[in-house]
Amino acid sequence: MSQAVSGRQAATGKARDAGSPIAALPARAGAAAAEWAPVAGRVLLALVLGWFGYHELVHPGLWTGYVQVAPASSGAAAVLVLIHGWALLMLAVALLAGIATRIAALIAAVLMLEIVISLTVTAGLSDLTLRDVGVLGLAACLTGISSQRLTLRR
Amino acid sequence: MGKWGLALLTAAGIAGVVLAVHGWSGWRPAAAPALAGSSVASSSPAPKATTRAPAPARRSASRAPSASPAPSGTSGPLLSSEPYARVSFRVWPGPMTAAAKQALIGLSVRVRKVASGLSVTAGVAGQAPGSPRVYPGGARVYVVEASLGDDSGNSDYSLGDDGLVVTSRQGRIVQ
Repeated sequence: MSQAVSGRQAATGKARDAGSPIAALPARAGAAAAEWAPVAGRVLLALVLGWFGYHELVHPGLWTGYVQVAPASSGAAAVLVLIHGWALLMLAVALLAGIATRIAALIAAVLMLEIVISLTVTAGLSDLTLRDVGVLGLAACLTGISSQRLTLRR
Repeated sequence: MGKWGLALLTAAGIAGVVLAVHGWSGWRPAAAPALAGSSVASSSPAPKATTRAPAPARRSASRAPSASPAPSGTSGPLLSSEPYARVSFRVWPGPMTAAAKQALIGLSVRVRKVASGLSVTAGVAGQAPGSPRVYPGGARVYVVEASLGDDSGNSDYSLGDDGLVVTSRQGRIVQ
């Protein structure tokens, strides 16, 4: 009898704890993270893409060495860098503003995959290549998140 | 995508085109950073061995004179008169400044004195070095690094702005 009473008391205590603000904190933090972490990832990916896009547009000569299909000193290489930089800039704006985020993330992932493969084939695995793998992972992750906060829908 | 999104993307696209025009206007091969000048290009050993070699390396490789080096005493303009002088860092002879050490990140440069001048072997750190090249009358070796900000740890994020210059004692670029 006394055991049953103490068991009921313990169950009641647990229920009371579950209803307390402190006990609910992990759940609320998890919910907030689920809600805002994709936004943080999106904005940070946009910053990375925007930074490289801007520099490729402003100083194409610094990047032509990475163009595989044309001589680095050729105008074609510079044009390709400019197109690449423009694409990165557009993706950055789209991600930052939350415009078609999944499509933008998918295109960013494809671009990052191309960069990773290209770097790996030509220069082997390095810390820089693996850093790009991380960015690729972030872009790939964002392709799977359908609804996000702070998006421009209109 | 709504009309505001479309408007924003359009504005960004136009801004990107403006930036691209700006970049293109500043790109001209002769004005490309560091090693675009023919004199420097011909004085620079190909510092990159891979196919991902940056622009300066490819230029130098493509413009480098054939097997026979220029006769001793042939020299080009003063390095100090070149636009990239301010981003040139002496790496040989030492001691190197902190900036020179940073500029050298990602590159492997070996310098050896020979009877006629300097023998320089350059390449990307961690990769097979290129073949040594003799610079008659060479006395100093500089690494040209347009942006030190892309060097991190033992890696150079953008090798496209790196290059090598050998000068005589008088500071003239060795042809």
